[in-house]
Amino acid sequence: MRDTPLSNCERRFLLKAIEAKKRLDGRQTYDYRNIKIAFGTDYGCCSVELGKTRVLCQVSCELVPPKDSRPTEGIMFFNLELSPMASPAFEPNRQSELLVTLNRQLERCLRNSKCIDTESLCVVSGEKVWQIRVDVHVLNHDGNLMDAASIAAISALSHFRRPDVAIQGRDVTVFSPEERDPIPLSIYHMPICVSFAFFLQGSYLLVDPCEREERVKDGLLVIAMNKHREICSIQSSGGIMLLKDQVLRCSKIASVKVSEITELINKALENDRKIRKEGGKFGFAESMPKERITTLKRDDAPVEMTDVKETASDIVNRTETTTEAVPSPVLVAMGTAQVGEGIVNSWALDEDEEDEPQTEDRKTGTVSDVCFCAVE
Amino acid sequence: MAVEMRLPAVHKHISLAASQSNQDDKHLVVPGDVITSDTGFMRGHGTYMDEDRLTASVAGEVERVNKLICVRPLKTRYNGEVGDVVIGRITEVQQKRWKVETNSRLDSVLLLSSVNLPGGELRRRSAQDELAMRDYLQEGDLISAEVQSIFSDGALSLHTRSLKYGKLGQGVLVFVSPSIVKRQKTHFHNLPCGASIILGNNGYVWLYPTPGQQDEEAGGYYTSMEPVSLSDREVISRLRNCLLALAAHKVLLYDTSVLYCYEASLPQQIKDILKPEIMEEIILETRQRLVEHEG
Repeated sequence: MRDTPLSNCERRFLLKAIEAKKRLDGRQTYDYRNIKIAFGTDYGCCSVELGKTRVLCQVSCELVPPKDSRPTEGIMFFNLELSPMASPAFEPNRQSELLVTLNRQLERCLRNSKCIDTESLCVVSGEKVWQIRVDVHVLNHDGNLMDAASIAAISALSHFRRPDVAIQGRDVTVFSPEERDPIPLSIYHMPICVSFAFFLQGSYLLVDPCEREERVKDGLLVIAMNKHREICSIQSSGGIMLLKDQVLRCSKIASVKVSEITELINKALENDRKIRKEGGKFGFAESMPKERITTLKRDDAPVEMTDVKETASDIVNRTETTTEAVPSPVLVAMGTAQVGEGIVNSWALDEDEEDEPQTEDRKTGTVSDVCFCAVE
Repeated sequence: MAVEMRLPAVHKHISLAASQSNQDDKHLVVPGDVITSDTGFMRGHGTYMDEDRLTASVAGEVERVNKLICVRPLKTRYNGEVGDVVIGRITEVQQKRWKVETNSRLDSVLLLSSVNLPGGELRRRSAQDELAMRDYLQEGDLISAEVQSIFSDGALSLHTRSLKYGKLGQGVLVFVSPSIVKRQKTHFHNLPCGASIILGNNGYVWLYPTPGQQDEEAGGYYTSMEPVSLSDREVISRLRNCLLALAAHKVLLYDTSVLYCYEASLPQQIKDILKPEIMEEIILETRQRLVEHEG
């Protein structure tokens, strides 16, 4: 199903806001959205939330014969799927350009950077090697799928444990997880993709574009880097002309962001490892906050508080002091008191009264809506 | 900027229209409900055969015409009929036609031969006209058009062969469900409150300031870019909030109901109309007036 097209005024509004250095959700130009990483009960299952974009990654392994050209190396297989759950624009079994781009970028980021030691995946040279399969499913599309997918993939690979094997000559025994503890993969470094969206012919850039911002972008630059400041891959799409210093600036921003994200991934892995060792409950069910159906749930919305004090004092100074709201009661007669003066009687207006000017009427009109208390 | 804050509170729903005259036995079904076990019926849209039993596949009302049973869904994409007025947005400019998005299952088609040429001439469309298509309607433009015919696959063929249809200029577009727009003789209204409205059958409603002088020659081309006055803009904002209130309470939209809702909302501030309690008050008053008006 085709997505509803963006209207012209929405497009103009977004571009004007970007020119004024403002974003829809109040972030700064170089800010990422909130990243939440959660691991499942199985080893190698990871779910990443980048704002509202949700991605699930599952790593699995299988013993297969190796490729003829590389008999001593294991095989890495990457597969990214855009499910219709993510966006109504994604149709099942449709090979769209976006799908191909994301798959290629993920492969380039993780396979070509040699972040996993494939030699250690060899069991019997030329006959049996481990094939590590990484499946990434996009659950919700709110922009910047590439970053979320790369974070999920590398977290899942770091979390994954493969079964232990014992080789005796030509016999290979694969131990189940109950017999022997599974072994983690040997990962040299963690490459993470950072996306930069360019607007208005490359004059403005935004880090981590959300879905609306992606629709009005001119071009996209994706830099895959690790925390040792090594660039693993750069991809520029959209056909915009980028200057050299723009690309250098982006790589500097990327190195800062990548080190933050790598720290976050390591912390999440550490937490999970600790909980599993202590024997506590782990998995998705524990890491999701308790969402009760009956309560009103809203994400915390950031509020800009930079000039709140001045604005508040301004408003206080400008408003006049309010007059006494409640008038004191007036004793009319014994046992009868009156509080306040009523408004003009509007029930029955005689014809001659209409000619009189209104202001006089208000002062001399009959009193109604008055509180009379008759005390016996 | 001062912001209004409200705490969540328990909300008592006023049961509106609980005992109305048209509350006769409507056969409402949800997907999976068995409509009948009688095999003598032919199955129409919205049904399927599940082991000899006719079952509903959509949520809606069962309609029976002699031997044909179909289910008409309550919430659906717009299904066009010939003669409907629709509002759409141009998504593509192709050879000799435009593709228009009209909230239906397929994009509608506006053929080059179905639009009025500038100056109102009647002649065969030449290759030059084809090249100049983009000057008239581009991607992202809003148009009002009428459904001329329906293709076999369900796509609508539109035409703007009248001076009242064409490109829309400054105004506000409101999205409502297609099923609450009432079918009437005319869908273009100049409301007495000072704005004009086009109620598209496809659920798109267009509010715009009433044009001063009708430029006969321009037809659907000329979109005035003069700034709209503040009073006009306030009227349009109030109308837009009223439309959202009517849509939320599933009141049929036509010029009278919109006008009554506008008048009922006058004592409130424009932004207060969107609050649920005030929305209910306004709709209650509107409903009462509509019932009196009919009775």
